[in-house]
Amino acid sequence: MKLKVYADRMSQPSRAVIIFCKVNGIEFDEVLIILAKRQQFSPEFKEINPLGKVPSIVDGRFKLFESHTILIYLASAFPSVADHWYPNDLSKRAKIHSVLDWHHTNLRPGAAGYVMNTVLAPFLGRSLDSKAAAEAEKILTKSLSTLETFWLKGNAKFLLGSNQPSIADLSLVCELMQLQVLDEKDRLRLFSPYKKVEEWIENTRKATQPHFDVVHKTLYGAKDKFDKQRKMSKPGLQSKM
Amino acid sequence: MKLKVYADRMSQPSRAVIILCKVNGIEFDEVLIILAKRQQLSPEFKEINPLGKVPTIVDGRFKLFESHAILIYLASAFPSVADHWYPNDLSKRAKIHSVLDWHHTNLRPGAAGYVMNTVLAPFLGRSLDSKAAAEAEKILTKSLSTLETFWLKGNAKFLLGSSQPSVADLSLVCEIMQLQVLDEKDRLRLFSPYKKVEEWIENTRKATQPHFDVVHKTL
Repeated sequence: MKLKVYADRMSQPSRAVIIFCKVNGIEFDEVLIILAKRQQFSPEFKEINPLGKVPSIVDGRFKLFESHTILIYLASAFPSVADHWYPNDLSKRAKIHSVLDWHHTNLRPGAAGYVMNTVLAPFLGRSLDSKAAAEAEKILTKSLSTLETFWLKGNAKFLLGSNQPSIADLSLVCELMQLQVLDEKDRLRLFSPYKKVEEWIENTRKATQPHFDVVHKTLYGAKDKFDKQRKMSKPGLQSKM
Repeated sequence: MKLKVYADRMSQPSRAVIILCKVNGIEFDEVLIILAKRQQLSPEFKEINPLGKVPTIVDGRFKLFESHAILIYLASAFPSVADHWYPNDLSKRAKIHSVLDWHHTNLRPGAAGYVMNTVLAPFLGRSLDSKAAAEAEKILTKSLSTLETFWLKGNAKFLLGSSQPSVADLSLVCEIMQLQVLDEKDRLRLFSPYKKVEEWIENTRKATQPHFDVVHKTL
């Protein structure tokens, strides 16, 4: 019975799980749960995950949610997955756990909070909150700085001094990709001091092509939509009548 | 060279790591880092952990922070630790990871946020924030409800239907213990609907005595 992955490609952790499966040749059926249509609250999906979260997986009778957990489980359970994604070495593994945990309490509230409160909220039935956006921006900036000076310290291509990607690289880069839906000027403003971070995102992207871009198509499409709306609502750029 | 644990027993994740070590007979030197005196920002501690967080461990030349990562590392690296703390079975292990992750994005912001903004902030050089407290309370209440109806579903003594404690039980119960610093009436108000949660806290406490109470003396 094939692995089932319940996901929405607009969701950062969903993308990480899907890309991981594709890169490692793990066969799966993807079941689309559209968050903007509140499909995570359907009775059918509540059977799969009572907490209504994506991504969720079903492997036979085993159900699991929380993307870091899923990435670890897949890396451990499927023999086709190369060791560098989740090394057997206890110390390397512990370091990967530590950056994944740091992600949950730093990068994620920063990045997701900022994007939610400047762009995405209305599409998920909420209102934009400029105070929350300002607080999230502080956390995001601090997180980008910590990535630049600590997690990417040295000259390696990936996090924690590694020259091969791990599940942590995939998870954190998918998180940062969410910032693509921002106004381009805003995004450049946020990222411009962080050259190592930009390089690392590109390294992770290259290491997982073509799947990385294929899976991010949904997000790029949303970005185009938002860019068009921003252009139309700018004063002085009305179409010639 | 003995394991070193840099900790402040006022910090929930610090207590979880210390209790796991004591319960499992893992020898260690505890180095006190007093958060209220901003000792986590000292140059000496920045050598150990540039992000200035407790708990942090040093095992030989290996330095590690983030309490969940530490609990997992200790359970895996020290043979005296019984399997139930962090089972070898992949599916059981995955379920433990999922509740630990849920903790970080639900119970922790709820419980720690509420305690910070109603009691602890002034002792850490910040101001109480009633709006933040109200938002944290919403998350806390939702988290207690999720514990009661989902993570503690069934009749088992511990999380995820287990009859023995895991690192997840220890981590989450230490988090909830932080609510002890609240006004007793406030604490009873928050907890009263959640009988399974109260029982589970007591089960975890009993399973780790006398160390649980010893380590919570500071709190």
